[in-house]
Amino acid sequence: MTFAVFVVLFTAMTLAFEGFGTPLSSCYLLISYAHVGILAMGMTFVILSGGIDLSVGTVLAFTTVFIAKAVSVWGLSPWVAIPVALFLGAGFGGGMGFLIHQYKMPPFLVTLAGMFLARGLAFVVNIETISLSEHPFFRAVSSWKLYLAPASFTPRPFLKAEAIIFLVLVVFCLYLAHMRRFGRTVYAIGGSESSATLMGLKVARTKILVYAFSGFCAALAGVAFTFLNTAGKANMGIGWELDAIAAVVIGGTLLTGGSGYVLGTFLGVLIYGSIMTGVGDYSNLGSAGQRISIGVLLLLFILVQGLLPGAGKTRSS
Amino acid sequence: MKTLLANAIHSRIIWPLAGLGVLLLFNLLADIEFYRIEILEGDLYGPLITVLKQGSKIMLLALGMTLVIATKGVDLSVGSVMAVVGVLAAFLLRETGGNLAAALAGGIGVAVILGAFNGGMVALVKIQPIVATLIMMVLARGVAFLITGGLPIKVTDPAIRQLGQGHLLGLPLSLFVVAAFFLISVILTRRTALGLFIESVGDNETASRFCGLPTRLVKVMVYVFCAVCACAAGLVSIGFSGIADADKLGVLYELDAITAVVVGGTALTGGRFSLAGSLVGALLIKTMEITLIRQGMNPAYMPVPKALIIVAVCLLLSEAFRTQLAGLFGRRKVSA
Amino acid sequence: MMTAAGLLVLSGCGGGGDDASSSRPAESASKIKVGFSQIGAESDWRVAETASIKAEASSRGVDLRFSDAQGKKENQIRALRNFITQGVDAVILAPVDSTGWDPVLEEVKDAGIPVILVDRGIETTDDSLYNTLIASDFTEEGRMAGRWLAEKTGGDAKIIQLEGSPGADPAIERKNGFEEVVDQHDGMQIIASQTGDFNQEKGQEVMEALMQQYGDQVTAVYAHNDNMALGAIQAIKDAGRKPGEEILVISIDAVRSAFEAMQAGELNCTVECNPLLGPMAFDAVERILAGEEIEKQTVVQDQLFDREGITEEIVASRQY
Repeated sequence: MTFAVFVVLFTAMTLAFEGFGTPLSSCYLLISYAHVGILAMGMTFVILSGGIDLSVGTVLAFTTVFIAKAVSVWGLSPWVAIPVALFLGAGFGGGMGFLIHQYKMPPFLVTLAGMFLARGLAFVVNIETISLSEHPFFRAVSSWKLYLAPASFTPRPFLKAEAIIFLVLVVFCLYLAHMRRFGRTVYAIGGSESSATLMGLKVARTKILVYAFSGFCAALAGVAFTFLNTAGKANMGIGWELDAIAAVVIGGTLLTGGSGYVLGTFLGVLIYGSIMTGVGDYSNLGSAGQRISIGVLLLLFILVQGLLPGAGKTRSS
Repeated sequence: MKTLLANAIHSRIIWPLAGLGVLLLFNLLADIEFYRIEILEGDLYGPLITVLKQGSKIMLLALGMTLVIATKGVDLSVGSVMAVVGVLAAFLLRETGGNLAAALAGGIGVAVILGAFNGGMVALVKIQPIVATLIMMVLARGVAFLITGGLPIKVTDPAIRQLGQGHLLGLPLSLFVVAAFFLISVILTRRTALGLFIESVGDNETASRFCGLPTRLVKVMVYVFCAVCACAAGLVSIGFSGIADADKLGVLYELDAITAVVVGGTALTGGRFSLAGSLVGALLIKTMEITLIRQGMNPAYMPVPKALIIVAVCLLLSEAFRTQLAGLFGRRKVSA
Repeated sequence: MMTAAGLLVLSGCGGGGDDASSSRPAESASKIKVGFSQIGAESDWRVAETASIKAEASSRGVDLRFSDAQGKKENQIRALRNFITQGVDAVILAPVDSTGWDPVLEEVKDAGIPVILVDRGIETTDDSLYNTLIASDFTEEGRMAGRWLAEKTGGDAKIIQLEGSPGADPAIERKNGFEEVVDQHDGMQIIASQTGDFNQEKGQEVMEALMQQYGDQVTAVYAHNDNMALGAIQAIKDAGRKPGEEILVISIDAVRSAFEAMQAGELNCTVECNPLLGPMAFDAVERILAGEEIEKQTVVQDQLFDREGITEEIVASRQY
């Protein structure tokens, strides 16, 4: 099962690479991939409903630029800018959800258009990067650490704001998926939309909400990223939606919808992060070697998942 | 007349054509120079020709992508396959001192292998197309890097340069390659049962299998064909620019290819497809790019019009939207 | 005169790898471990920079941990953290952009690891977050190109600008520097400015479109890097014009292909941005680890190479 493979992968890398697998480096894993994880959480619901959202990467970028400009140039307080950004993200996602549901337009395309639109809008807000390092709020939050062990334990592991946001979101998503009607409806729609409609479930509202939630997560990931990298940058986030999709798929959620686990995605993020970290930073391979290794590892993982009976099968609601 | 209009609204290729028409009309009114064609050393030269020449790569990719999408799949690796082919061909040309046959064989060979691998992952191992081709996208790009060691390779072989740069009867040579591929794909799909098989697999794979169709073979074949189209596009690319750069060749081309296909009227849900529509879609994208450059739009903002065109054409392709629109023209549904 | 300047420059920096650089300190019993976070492998220049650093590390017996960020900022941030866990003695960082480094550099500083920035600087509220900077000045590169053009044309030119990727710092600064100079001359005007994404093929495509529109007006092309310039040269030839003669072409990076183009008379000048920073970077590492005081900033001098001064030897001596 996904968890077993994760353990194998993680152990192998810990043995192979010096410095990998320690409490501190595990914390780093969570911190470095928090933004991908947040994107993946929103993406999980979208994929469970049978759709996909390609716009999350650029919405993230837009959010960072928007917040940076709002706070540094327009002089707004972060306590205003951040909620507004989250609201914009949700609204953007909801708009796409509306088009997808109302006019039966393919999610791939609508969110692809959304991706282009968000990118362009990000540049319209500001082409150059805007630094947030001077702003007291961001300085404070970005350097805040939650220590997980006493000072005598070296190297001392800690978590930072972005990781906390991610973990809280995971818990929230677990709740949303398994204890709210919203979650059940999402699974039902993914299983068979027509059946769900016939059953009287609120399909339209849920579908739109799913994309709105994804947009919200994308904006939230943007906020988290401003703590990781205290700046607003329009031209980043290229390909992050694919990272999120990869994490979701590795976690066992089927792209056809209706089957998958929020917890699976969480594991998927950890696995994906481990692969990227292990190959990228510890393996000391050259540029070609790194890309090929990542591809091979992902392939092996997906093959194992596909070929092992029951390995990829997770709970369908 | 109203019925004619309502009917026209319901046919699929009309919409990408309309989009193209809008752009061409815009240029007619705002930028007549767009249509200026001169003769340079016996060849036609001008913005329209540029659209055809530079658009050849996307048109080739779109042809292959159409059939893949028709089987309810997608191929995200076409850009990277272009890169591997281009880089390998350039490498072989350099190492063998200009042996064109070897370079072509290598390029086509690697494309077939990669395409078969994609098809195998999707059809045999049952990995979802997005995931399988995403992995290939990463792997192929890595292989391209491995071949070049990071430094771009120069391409000087005259035949390949002609492919990307040359003209035949005044028009760009690459356009003829597109025409050839188009003809081949049309013959294969419309003159044989293959087209029917593809649509059937895309519509309902299980039922097709029960009908006795070799569904897995069909799927593998479309991915191979897609990769071969990418091979052609890769060769055109290195012919055009004269270098093979592992880092940049084909980057993000898959998005344009997919956009071209869908804007051209082939649905991502699989089934019926339109090769001609995909060509129109590709031309639409390229025309828009050139128009925006000529209008001096800040390059950073260019994604916005792209997005709007996609949404516009897709709205028009949407059954529900058109019904609303057609309703405006006189076929009013009696509300219950 | 240009030849002399060029030769002087080559002996001074570019060929620096062969130079006897500063004294090699006595090798310590255990190897020093250095983490190098590189932006990616997106150009000849970048590849040369990586090669220089790797070669220098190996010749000094340094255990180098190399991370290729594939152009992504988050990968670099992650890499720095993982260098901490691998217990490196120093970090060499080629930042992909200039902002937002404070949080991670603070962690590196807290771990007691010195940071050497190469290739470009960063904006930060706290200077102590890095020990030294070895870089060129992109804005100045743009200005140098602008000044050369002003001098060559007597302050009268209609220019097409091929920009780097939107939002990328080198593109922004090379544009600003150049336009600063253009603004000082009434007769100089940028008639079109489009992005070629630092990419030869795209540069060629965009230039082709622009040649059709401005072919009869343009007198000069300024590209933010050599790759785009080479693409532009091809587009100019396809339009039936002579690059380097009828239309001046200037660019930045000074890679080998640029020199070959200058030899062929098609490129007029290129501003050198020296990528062989290995020796300087490791000199800095050794001095810092030995506890020496070090200059905050070493500006790598950019030099301008004019077509007039190019000879066979110079082209052959270009390592990259």
